Amino acid sequence: MSMTLVQVVVSGLLLGAVYALFSSGLTLIWGMMNVVNFAHGDFVMLGMYTAVMIWTALGGGPWASVPAAAMVIATLGIASYFLLVRHIMRGPMLAQILGTFGLALFLRYGALWTFGANFKTLPDDLVGHSFILAGIRFEGARVLAGVVGLLVTLLLHLLLTRTALGSRMLAVSEDATAAQLMGIRPQRMQALAWGMAGAATGIAGALIATFFYTSPTVGETLAIVAFVTVSFGGFGSVLGALVAGLVIGVVESLSAYLIGPVYKDVIVYILFVAVLWFRPQGLMGKA
Amino acid sequence: MTRRRLIQILLVALVLAYPLVVAGSPVWARLGALVLLAAIGASAWNIVGGYAGQVSVGHSVFFGIGAYSAVVTYTQLGLPPIAGAPIGMALSVLVAAVIGVPTLKLSGHYFSMATIAVAELVRVLSSTSEFLGGAQGLGGPPVPRSVLDLSFISATPYYYIFLAVLAGLLWLTHAIEHGRMGFYLRAIKDSERAARSLGVAAGRYKLYAYMLSAAFTALAGSLYLTMFGFVDPESGFGILISVKMVVMAALGGAGQLFGPLVGALILVPLEELSNSYLGGQGAGLTFVVYGAIILIIARFLPSGLLSLLERRRSAASRAAKTVDGHAD
Amino acid sequence: MVDGMVGATRRALAAVAALAAFGLGVSAQAQQVVKIGAVYPLSGNSASTGNYAKMAFEMGADIINNGNPELAKVMPLAKGGGLPGLKGAKIQMVIADNQGTPAAGQNQTLRLITEEKVAAVICCYQSGITLTASAVAERYGIPFLNAESVAANLTERGFKWFFRTTPVAADFAKAYSTFLNEQKAAGRKVDSIAIVHENTEYGNSVSSVLADAFAKANLPVTQKIAYSANSTDVQPQVLQLKEKNPDVVIFISYTSDAILYAKTMKELNWKPAILIADDGGFNDPAFVKAMGSVTEGLISRSVFASGKPGSVAAILDDLYKKKTGGDGLDDVSARVLQAFFVMAEAINNAGSTDPAKIRDALRAVELKPEQLVAGYDGVKFDDKGQNVQASTLITQMRNGNYVSVWPKARATHELVLPYKGW
Repeated sequence: MSMTLVQVVVSGLLLGAVYALFSSGLTLIWGMMNVVNFAHGDFVMLGMYTAVMIWTALGGGPWASVPAAAMVIATLGIASYFLLVRHIMRGPMLAQILGTFGLALFLRYGALWTFGANFKTLPDDLVGHSFILAGIRFEGARVLAGVVGLLVTLLLHLLLTRTALGSRMLAVSEDATAAQLMGIRPQRMQALAWGMAGAATGIAGALIATFFYTSPTVGETLAIVAFVTVSFGGFGSVLGALVAGLVIGVVESLSAYLIGPVYKDVIVYILFVAVLWFRPQGLMGKA
Repeated sequence: MTRRRLIQILLVALVLAYPLVVAGSPVWARLGALVLLAAIGASAWNIVGGYAGQVSVGHSVFFGIGAYSAVVTYTQLGLPPIAGAPIGMALSVLVAAVIGVPTLKLSGHYFSMATIAVAELVRVLSSTSEFLGGAQGLGGPPVPRSVLDLSFISATPYYYIFLAVLAGLLWLTHAIEHGRMGFYLRAIKDSERAARSLGVAAGRYKLYAYMLSAAFTALAGSLYLTMFGFVDPESGFGILISVKMVVMAALGGAGQLFGPLVGALILVPLEELSNSYLGGQGAGLTFVVYGAIILIIARFLPSGLLSLLERRRSAASRAAKTVDGHAD
Repeated sequence: MVDGMVGATRRALAAVAALAAFGLGVSAQAQQVVKIGAVYPLSGNSASTGNYAKMAFEMGADIINNGNPELAKVMPLAKGGGLPGLKGAKIQMVIADNQGTPAAGQNQTLRLITEEKVAAVICCYQSGITLTASAVAERYGIPFLNAESVAANLTERGFKWFFRTTPVAADFAKAYSTFLNEQKAAGRKVDSIAIVHENTEYGNSVSSVLADAFAKANLPVTQKIAYSANSTDVQPQVLQLKEKNPDVVIFISYTSDAILYAKTMKELNWKPAILIADDGGFNDPAFVKAMGSVTEGLISRSVFASGKPGSVAAILDDLYKKKTGGDGLDDVSARVLQAFFVMAEAINNAGSTDPAKIRDALRAVELKPEQLVAGYDGVKFDDKGQNVQASTLITQMRNGNYVSVWPKARATHELVLPYKGW
């Protein structure tokens, strides 16, 4: 394999880890409540703006903006749950699309109204410069985002599968009524899931902002990637989202390099539909 | 004549006379036509998304096929764009079969996501196709050559054309709803497993609904093209087109005959008027308001606006029953 | 007595009539405004550009209505007090949002024409929207001026009310090929050219016109890379470039991807000897602000270069900076402002808001380069409505700002090569 090809694969893996990071929040609530959040991309966007604000107002880098964005978006998630999602869950599945699409427009254009339409970027040396390791060039900001992405998704996975809290949350997702009989409060668990999903999404946003541009409509671009990643991996499976994110990242990079950048999305979508053809529940979803 | 009958007649008269009522204002006449056009798309979606409960978020594929068929009929053959409508409908039915066979076996959100992926796939491919004008898109006849080009200054002819199409579509939907197919579709929507166990060929009926829905969505696309005279990958195959169909149907009441029309009646004027009054200031206030109103309706009426009527009706019938009970 | 009564009544009536007439006259005078409609992308993906255009319109109207003494020396319309040709009528801009969709563009154009009764329309940025919106103006017989859409077919439709001030893609291609051939003659290597373009209307149309023009001018295009503007990662493309290592790279990009390319090229530490960025995102103030310092020596095209102090362009640039809070005029806002002044000039010369008279005045407009804010050779429309004197400048990034370096006659700075970057 030529050195360039290795570089392409590495960049794909780093990208994939970031995809996994910003999809993990989506898969969590999707799996737990069977709710698809069409405003997810806009949650990421607000996380990015939080990072931009922290830098412009206080000069703070990721060490300040990551926890801040986690808190801001977690609060937003919990507020959305209590004010909106809790109510639309009573309606048909379509109500979720309706409600979260309305929320998406509201947040996206609320951001346009507040921050203006202009593209914002953080200084590219905020996280440190790129370095060369074994002939491969690594960009500081992307490495940080990728590593944190891996850590957060793994932590979420462990939390769901290895802790008492996690099994309580899963109990609610499988049968809320039965869980209630066992003394678990479904609403509290669901609100917690929205909070955790929000925190992961906020972290993702703050990290993406360090190497990406920030604008009110950036969430749209990211949302479709997140949807594909999550259903590719299987709803509710954090590990699935991680694997799917990495696969998509590498496939995108390789096909962009080998076939042509225009076709990279085409390849990803074909792969996605093909995977569903053979595994209708996604890579790691439960049948 | 009952009061209900009277209200119905008045409504029909109002719909028929609308362009005459607003004759002085081209903007309002156009608004009427836009509402009907959106209602055609959303009602077509309703057949598979509402009645069969298969939430497609990729219907822009068919809308785009309709629009492009119409414009290609003009650019390649020099015929009036509307002549491409039957081609678009036939092509859509074919494409629906190709997409439907693998995706319709997916359940719930997986189906929605697969349809989004297919639609995005088609959008990207269409922008690389020379034949379809690439990313620049294609325009219809710049100046009408004959009345067959259906290119009018006034929106009134469009209004009546769209009204006729919508009436036909709703009539067909009504027939399906009360026929065997409607019964099967409702059974599938409630529980596919139960429907299958009762011997309903669920896969086949879902596919029929999908193909029928695709045909009429394509017709909406062709009509869109005759009115606006231009299509590019974004305005033909863009994800927003699909989402708007879903949102309109859901807002009014999916799986109900008039649900999509009610949704269009609310959303289209809301979008146009808020853009007219707020859009010029920049800053995206239009969509803040638009989004907030959708949000609020979803919050308080998750089953759509028509559920309000139903609630009243069921309350009334409950009241009637109680009275009956007392009489007993 | 009776006579006296009648006389008094008559006199009173006459006085009332006179008063009424006077009152009407005054109010007609005071209320006379000329409305000009503008339909731009104020929301959606091009919202940033649309909002800069909006500020340009507002500034233009303000200059004509309230005057600017410095500008008045070179621009008669900048004396203040409205349009002298219409007894001092003020200009009122009615700006609408096309939301980046052809449908909204057409709907809003119709509204401006029929409800707001605008005398003329300036529209729409995106070529596809210009195509649909101008069809409405054509049917209603309202002058339609386009400031920045470059699709060639717009002026080929036989429209009678359509005008366009901007140069089109073929003009840019000609400028680039002449420029590159001059560099070749000066001894620089121009043996391999890569064209990297985004995959929507803008990138596709400009890149295909460029490829044709280069083939004719004997300039070898060795690599053509199309990509989608909302890419999350552009490393593969830059790696493709790095591997082939072309002498010249031309980017045709929007803002988001332009920022990503500048970042990624620095990150992968690769640069060609000549780096050209076709306007678009690379001219967005957001790009210049964020990436100007790491793209020293980047060559771009723009119709705008600030020029010498005291010139129309320089004065307007300063005014615009005050209006926007720091961002100067760029390619798009300069073309918008130019279109506005052309329209104001035509309405003033027409001396009326009658559409046919405005159209005739537009056909007769003749402006010299020194009267312009945009760097055209002048403004004069042909039978199809195209400004035949539209042309473009080639600019270069110096210390975080673009300065004009070509053609020689309009250059304020010497061209410096090779591309320095970071």
